[in-house]
Amino acid sequence: MAVITLPYKYLERLTRTDRKTILDKVALIGSDVERTEEDHADVEFFPDRPDLFSPEGVARAMRGYLGIETGLPAYKVKPSGISFTIDPQLAEIRPVLGAAVIRGVNFDDESIQSIMSLQESLHWAVGRGRSKVAIGIHDMDTVKPPFHYIASRRSRGFIPLDFTEKMTMDEILEKHPKGRDYAKIVKDFPLFPLIVDDDDHVLSFPPIINGERTRVTLDTKNILLDTTGTDKRAVAVAVNIICTAMAEAGATIESVEIDGVQTPTLAPAERTVSVTECSRILGVDLTAASMAELLRKMRFGAEPVSADTVKVQVPCYRADIMHDWDLFEDVAIAYGYDRLESKPPKTFTVGKPHPVPVNAALAREAFCGLGYLEVMPFTLTNEDVLYTRMQRGETKGVLHVMHPISIENTVVRTELLPLLLEFLTLNRHRELPQRLFTVGDVVLDCHTHQQAVGVSTHPDADFSEAYASADAVLHELSIDYSVKESTDPAFIDGRRGDIIVDGKTVGVFGEIHPAVLVAFELEHSVAAFEFDLRAVPGYPAL
Amino acid sequence: MAELTQNEKRLLAILEKEKKADAPHLAGLMGATPEAVVQWAFLAQDNGCATVGRIVAKEFVYTDEGKAYLKDGLPETQLLRFILPGTTLADLQKHAAFKIGFGQLRKKGLVKVEGTGVTRITGTSTDADEAALKNPSDADPKTKELIKRGILQEEETVRYAIAITPEGLALAGKGLDLREETGTLTREQILSGAWKTANLRRYDVSKLPKKAYPGKIHPYQRIIGEMREILLEMGFTELYGGIVQQSFWNFDALFQPQDHPAREMQDTFYLNETLPLPPGYENVKAMHICGGETSSTGWGGSWTEKKAEQCVLRTHTTCLSIQHLAQNKNPPVKAFAVGRVYRRETIDTTHLAEFEQLEGIVMDENVSFGNLLGILREFYNRMGFTSVRFKPSFYPYTEPSLDAEVYVEGIGWIEMGGAGIFREEVTAPIGIKYPVLAWGLGVSRIAMLRLGLKDLRLLHKSDVAFLRETPSLRKAKGGI
Repeated sequence: MAVITLPYKYLERLTRTDRKTILDKVALIGSDVERTEEDHADVEFFPDRPDLFSPEGVARAMRGYLGIETGLPAYKVKPSGISFTIDPQLAEIRPVLGAAVIRGVNFDDESIQSIMSLQESLHWAVGRGRSKVAIGIHDMDTVKPPFHYIASRRSRGFIPLDFTEKMTMDEILEKHPKGRDYAKIVKDFPLFPLIVDDDDHVLSFPPIINGERTRVTLDTKNILLDTTGTDKRAVAVAVNIICTAMAEAGATIESVEIDGVQTPTLAPAERTVSVTECSRILGVDLTAASMAELLRKMRFGAEPVSADTVKVQVPCYRADIMHDWDLFEDVAIAYGYDRLESKPPKTFTVGKPHPVPVNAALAREAFCGLGYLEVMPFTLTNEDVLYTRMQRGETKGVLHVMHPISIENTVVRTELLPLLLEFLTLNRHRELPQRLFTVGDVVLDCHTHQQAVGVSTHPDADFSEAYASADAVLHELSIDYSVKESTDPAFIDGRRGDIIVDGKTVGVFGEIHPAVLVAFELEHSVAAFEFDLRAVPGYPAL
Repeated sequence: MAELTQNEKRLLAILEKEKKADAPHLAGLMGATPEAVVQWAFLAQDNGCATVGRIVAKEFVYTDEGKAYLKDGLPETQLLRFILPGTTLADLQKHAAFKIGFGQLRKKGLVKVEGTGVTRITGTSTDADEAALKNPSDADPKTKELIKRGILQEEETVRYAIAITPEGLALAGKGLDLREETGTLTREQILSGAWKTANLRRYDVSKLPKKAYPGKIHPYQRIIGEMREILLEMGFTELYGGIVQQSFWNFDALFQPQDHPAREMQDTFYLNETLPLPPGYENVKAMHICGGETSSTGWGGSWTEKKAEQCVLRTHTTCLSIQHLAQNKNPPVKAFAVGRVYRRETIDTTHLAEFEQLEGIVMDENVSFGNLLGILREFYNRMGFTSVRFKPSFYPYTEPSLDAEVYVEGIGWIEMGGAGIFREEVTAPIGIKYPVLAWGLGVSRIAMLRLGLKDLRLLHKSDVAFLRETPSLRKAKGGI
């Protein structure tokens, strides 16, 4: 989530109304006011609306929403006469370039801060941490066009931003903080992307760092924007969002020529949408005129072209409008979620529980009747608990999580009994007897099924208790079983039985082996039983 | 006054005559041990019928060593007797009491050693020590010394003097029922009719016996069960499915772009397994690349089968909803699932790497965003939240999207869950022709509020005392 700082004075000047009016309504366009301070508010916007990641963008949207200025914001672009060349060797490295000239900026501390944080938010939301899009902003008057986007040898050197010494690009990846942060994006390429001017001065080593030469200062009047990346659409969106935000702040935008094409145009995209479809989706009666008016409030150009169609001009900064329904959401926001009528659907349907939870509920009932208390252990655990402490071998089909958060959570549970013994460890200081059960999912290979497990600990817990309790729960679930002596090493030899259904072992019961008790730091005997709920007659396959 | 036990009554009956006596005496009269009598007397004292006086007597006892000295004299006395004019130190050393006695003689200044000879110092004796040994007394510092030397021991003997109080006398005066008491009613007493005359022991209702703990369902499971029941009542079909899902169903089918941050290793638990893609996956692929045959532009860029085949621990239950829709294309479909989902988060008091999510969908001809609001309002109302409001939000696979907030007394508006209409990019590739309303909420959030938990981990690593003490029926106030 992007939290944007909105300085009140700047926001008020741009929006042309007072802060209270703005802050009262800003949540209604899709945001959370995180905190309000003396001179600014911090507001969180959703990642699909990078056009709102600046005070200029927020002011533009709020002018529409508050009815101060509606419809499509028009941005004039004139050619700068400046061109870029692109080195064909970049095709496999970082092929896409966008650029623009922004003239007549008037920076103060706040507006420099604002554009820097917009840049960072775009790197995050649109640029996927600079891999998809990276943005560079330069003082235009320190370099000489035309510019060249080249694939350079890695040993070439220049002075990177915030440094005084010349470094090679390889050194930058190793020593410069930004180099270290983003090295992984480029480090495997034989050549590195580089933007230079006509005198071969380095502007930028995208997506890592700019050169110190073109540093933007309070005295900067004209900006050269470079945007590189791997995705054409994302690069264009980033350019459009920055250029329109700067235009909102009073700057003039000029296009550059890249491979013979003038860019950016800041021209809107067009869509023709159905009023009927929108009314149906939202559950609101709209006319072409009312729908167009609502869209204009959201800063779209919108004109009815027939009783059922509205022609919409989508501003170039609205990256999120991919589909007609995206426009319908804006209609709903303009209409007001609080004004939408809540009405449950009328179609008659009958509720139907799934047999897995139904069976689980029956098992719970049986356990509770026997005085067992339900616990709900985590499903991520580790091999030490599942196998080592249980004296059991690793269960075939155990799934290992590829990047576990900690050594405690490395595998998905294949059994539940060890987790209940862990619970007894956790509750050693609590009054005995303790009888605990759980019913839940276990995973083998990629398949989920359910087990039911009970443990009982107190000084007299024994084989007979385990057998009798297992028998009671199995009986309640109509499981027709037979028993034979078990070899499960988690239990005491001669005090353990396998539960057999249709010739297959589906569970085990008995007295937990003293070595297992010691491994779980338990001091009293434990009577336990576990079984696979797929033994329940008619149990569903998932 | 609490009910008197049979033994208290017997004691009172005796005390009525004896007035005051010590425990052994009363024990003799009652045919019981003095210890038992004292115990009954204390019970009677609690009931105001008797007083128990604890009398402590101090006594000096001789140790085995002390007993020997009492007969033979203290070691130093024995040595003194042995010293005659001309006795040498070597002579003295042969005496059995030398080891202990000689040190005492030197310490007390009773002898002097000159050359090899030992002589008594005239005018001194051990008479005072011997006197203290014969008649020990608290006041005598010599006695203390003998205790320190392990010759004497101080012993306390406790005696109990039991007396009846005026209240006790009054009670005894009214007549005590001294018939034998029956504790547990026996089968014989019931069948023979002996119960009619039996003196059934009366119990003290103000005293809770050892607590009994029922077996019961986990309070969190109870909340999950409540939500299930509400949705079943509202006509929804329950879904249940696997924890391990293919990225295809968990992400791609939900139009989550393959380069979306949520799909990265640091947010999702990946497994080293793959599953083959389902037939018709190409529709999903086309949707990602160019929007298929809808008005969508798609995400553009690339889409690889390899990424979609990779298995993950499901990050939401929406993967169950979408598969259910893929198998049930005819309206109406109303379904829900409650299940554990996984996010690769660092575990702390309010974030768990695994938690329960509730998810519901409605697919039908002509269902609208307004219907979605209606379902949510109904659901939250039934959960006990009377004030519900909605605000714009963003979810990658719904459009329009919303967040639902409920009002909780004392806390304010709380975000409860997200909802929206599945994007056409989600529904079109699997052949769904009607809008699908969808919503989800974090079940643990409600559990945390309801159970007053400060640490979510308690739901899964529970203290048995917490489970025992949390009643099955919680006094709900405004849904909490």
